Amino acid sequence: MKILLAEDDFASRKFMDKQLSRYGECDVMVDGEEAVDAFMMALEDGEPYDLACLDVMMPVMDGYQVLKAIRDIEAQKGIPKSKRVKVIMTTALNDERNVKMAFELGCEAYAGKPIDVEKFEKVLTKLGLI
Amino acid sequence: MAEEFNTESMLDMFLYESGQLLEKLEGIILEKQDADCFDDADINEIFRVMHTIKGSSGVLMYENITKVTHKLEDVFYYLRESHPDDVPHMELVEKVLAVSDFVTGELDKLKNGDTPDGDEKQLVEDLDEFLGRLKGEIKKQGIQMPQANKHVEPTQFYITPVAGDDSHFYRISIHYRSDTQMSNLRAYSATYALKEVAEDLLYTPDDILSNEASADVIVAEGFHMLLQTKSSKEEVIALIDSSEAEEINFDELSKEEYGRALSEFGREEAAPAAAAPASAKNDANKDAKKEGPKPGDYVVKTKEAGKGKTLAKNQPKQQSIISVNVEKMDALMDLIGELVIAEAVVLQNPDLKVPGLELSNFQKASGQLSKITTELQEVIMSMRMMPLTNTFQKMRRIVFDVSRKLGKDIELEVVGENTEVDKNIIEHITDPLMHLVRNSVDHGIEEDPADRTAVGKSTKGKITLEAKNEGGKVYISVKDDGKGLNKEKLYQKALEKGLIENKPINEFTDKEIFRFITLPGFSTKEEVTEYSGRGVGMDVVVKNIQSISGRLDISSVEFEGSEMTLVIPLTLAIINGIVVQVGNSPFVIETASIKEFVRVGEDSLISEPSGEEYIVLRGECYPFIRLNERYDLPDSNDKIEEGIIVVLEHEGSQVCVLIDKLLQEQEIVVKPIPPYVRKVKGLSGCTQLGDGSIALILDIAGLLMHDGERR
Amino acid sequence: MAEELMKKEEIDEMEELLEDDSPKGMFMTFQVGKELFGISISYVNEIIAMQSIAAIPEVDDYIKGLINLRGKIIPVIDVRVRFKMEPCEYTDRTCIIVIDVKSTMIGLIVERLADVDTIAEENIAPPPSLGRKEHEHNKYVYGLARTKDTVTLLLDPEKLIRQDDIVTAMEEVRKEEQS
Repeated sequence: MKILLAEDDFASRKFMDKQLSRYGECDVMVDGEEAVDAFMMALEDGEPYDLACLDVMMPVMDGYQVLKAIRDIEAQKGIPKSKRVKVIMTTALNDERNVKMAFELGCEAYAGKPIDVEKFEKVLTKLGLI
Repeated sequence: MAEEFNTESMLDMFLYESGQLLEKLEGIILEKQDADCFDDADINEIFRVMHTIKGSSGVLMYENITKVTHKLEDVFYYLRESHPDDVPHMELVEKVLAVSDFVTGELDKLKNGDTPDGDEKQLVEDLDEFLGRLKGEIKKQGIQMPQANKHVEPTQFYITPVAGDDSHFYRISIHYRSDTQMSNLRAYSATYALKEVAEDLLYTPDDILSNEASADVIVAEGFHMLLQTKSSKEEVIALIDSSEAEEINFDELSKEEYGRALSEFGREEAAPAAAAPASAKNDANKDAKKEGPKPGDYVVKTKEAGKGKTLAKNQPKQQSIISVNVEKMDALMDLIGELVIAEAVVLQNPDLKVPGLELSNFQKASGQLSKITTELQEVIMSMRMMPLTNTFQKMRRIVFDVSRKLGKDIELEVVGENTEVDKNIIEHITDPLMHLVRNSVDHGIEEDPADRTAVGKSTKGKITLEAKNEGGKVYISVKDDGKGLNKEKLYQKALEKGLIENKPINEFTDKEIFRFITLPGFSTKEEVTEYSGRGVGMDVVVKNIQSISGRLDISSVEFEGSEMTLVIPLTLAIINGIVVQVGNSPFVIETASIKEFVRVGEDSLISEPSGEEYIVLRGECYPFIRLNERYDLPDSNDKIEEGIIVVLEHEGSQVCVLIDKLLQEQEIVVKPIPPYVRKVKGLSGCTQLGDGSIALILDIAGLLMHDGERR
Repeated sequence: MAEELMKKEEIDEMEELLEDDSPKGMFMTFQVGKELFGISISYVNEIIAMQSIAAIPEVDDYIKGLINLRGKIIPVIDVRVRFKMEPCEYTDRTCIIVIDVKSTMIGLIVERLADVDTIAEENIAPPPSLGRKEHEHNKYVYGLARTKDTVTLLLDPEKLIRQDDIVTAMEEVRKEEQS
């Protein structure tokens, strides 16, 4: 599968890249704007991502903005819900307010950092990605 | 400030809401345990509770909880859809309680930071079997089978972070030798090494890579880091390259200190980002000039957070209740206390006391102000009051469990569960009350129903739990109609154990004999049962109750039953007190413990050669304490006829205390004496008076004890 | 009145200094007896004028009692008495330094405030060893700072407020210093 990873922190990025590369080809972005650009490009090339892992705290655009942008683009292009990219937010902000907002914005999962790899994998299974 | 609110983590929220739901569930179950069946509203409610917990546990991926609640939801789905007759009610009650216990247990594990790993298989099988029987029943009755309960797998998941409670916080300072070359690179390699283990890392100077001049700063002032990590001190030290370092200072910080240190390092502590792993702001790999949004901005402003669906609060009437941190309430109460004092300072300001000043408008306005502050005080006090409902519910459960275990048929009657008590006090009475209830079930009610019928009582035992509010005190009583206390037996037992003086039984009053059971080491039951009778019971109960200035009254009639009554103050935070003065110091005495004020002459005083003094009042002799001598207070009056004698009473013992004068009676907000000051016997706290000065609160029990020890 | 105003201004000034970022090496200095003492300002919460103190019976004599700091009740200790010096009258120069040591708030009564000084680390010398073991356990003076013509004794607040007995080592420190 094709994975988009947006994470500005070097250590986390390294870690996530390693984890995700086991499941597929992983494109790594360092800020939110890049992530949206990459998402657009992939769509235009007809090879959309299957999974996007977005950090919340990123420069330029934060994870929520990216998530919203992605869902907006998808809606605009008329992509059906079942074909949408699966989005997992990865962040240390795990208060209820932030989590709910992310769910409302339409992410599939919200992973608090430090990430529980076992559960992460379970979610990927439940989402039908692996 | 805004970030400080509503920052409960997703997990906290789940725990809180599920806990609330389970409490509610137990309430319904225990209320209806004696009924023949649940009514539609109950079934709906239980179904809804299970559905909610199933849903949220699914999102958080606690699969065992999900499975169990799912199964019970199925059961209630059938009950709801097909209204079968002949549901084995007691069995159903047990099943629901079993599920509730299981989930509660798992939630407790989560609260302690453990993994909820309880095995749900047996429970699920039992429920399946039960459901199977129900369905069989339904078929037999010829009712059409309802459609299967449809389950929607959650489509959104929340992955809880690996528990962060065991994080350590360190402040690390590295001082390099003054001739160290490129110290900024060394510092960078240290941060790089630490990032492997860091949950959060901040350092100063923070531009070590982009700014070469930082090398000089590092050499001159040292390189300082704040680290949040799960690694131990040793592991962290091992990661830091210590060559060239002259000195490495390593301090472990508490979470609060860390928060404070964060702000020193230039990061806002209130921001949720405080726990973020090496956040954008200090990432050395990045162009430092690139303006990253501030942590608070990560919340997208266009969409109002917290709106829309909530996890469990579907019931409209619950929406009007919010939970507030007790600390915030305490802070509010303190502030209101200050306000009252500030008000007194303004209204009684000496500047106003100029003769001939026309103040009628001012008086009117100040009257209004006083009214508002008084009301404010009442409101905050009422906010701290909580009904005993939850506490009593726990008791229902205990009666249910213990009576079933012991095979006794007991009915519990609850009266006045809406009585309100200060929150602090509720915390203190739950355990003692639990003990009393267990005792009643275990020891109070007869083991053999025949013993009951023999004295003309019904076979079913009855325990009454009653709370009422009278004259500033709360009375909570546990009454049983069991065998009652046998005075002779109590007396013999106490004598055997050497707990009392050897004197004939008729020299003790009934009350005194009943009080034997509260002596340490007394237990009338020969064998110890699972629920009571370890002999460390009643004395602990009494001690706990006394610690909140309450008492335990016992009354009993043999063969008719016993009654244990806890008498506790309504609130610990505010007492009605009389302010008195000794020397230059004001003291407060709780009004309830004052019997009378008298003036006496020298002739009422009896001095023993040992220095002990007594006062004779109407032929009674009372121990006498001169507060000025006891506490070594200067400038006070020594002459007994010039001062005032206060007669104080505590649990039947009296003492006379000499004071200089009475100041006023008022409501006193009790504050603890700072723990830095060693505990002084006879003082229970302090308070601030209207003029802002501080008065000490006399503790009568402590005074009496102290007096006794001295003799 | 003028005197009082002066003092108020002084205190305000100190408070202002306190509100600056408090880098390491800044000390609040005050006078007790003839000595100048310093305490790291990271411990200092605020400075308040002397106010009425409610005495508590049966405690050590240096614990003067309790004060009401905007509704918070905190104990105050007299630094002079703590150092076993003769107590002296409180004047309008006397003030209370409120410090926060590991979340314990305590007021220190000092005769007068001196200044807020930056003392560079290299100017701080460890106190001369007294050569006597029994003094080791309570070195509430952890360093001596030389500034121009004065010597400031730097206090470790944790040890200062600890409730065991202080050895009257002060004088001796001073003597050693002079010799």
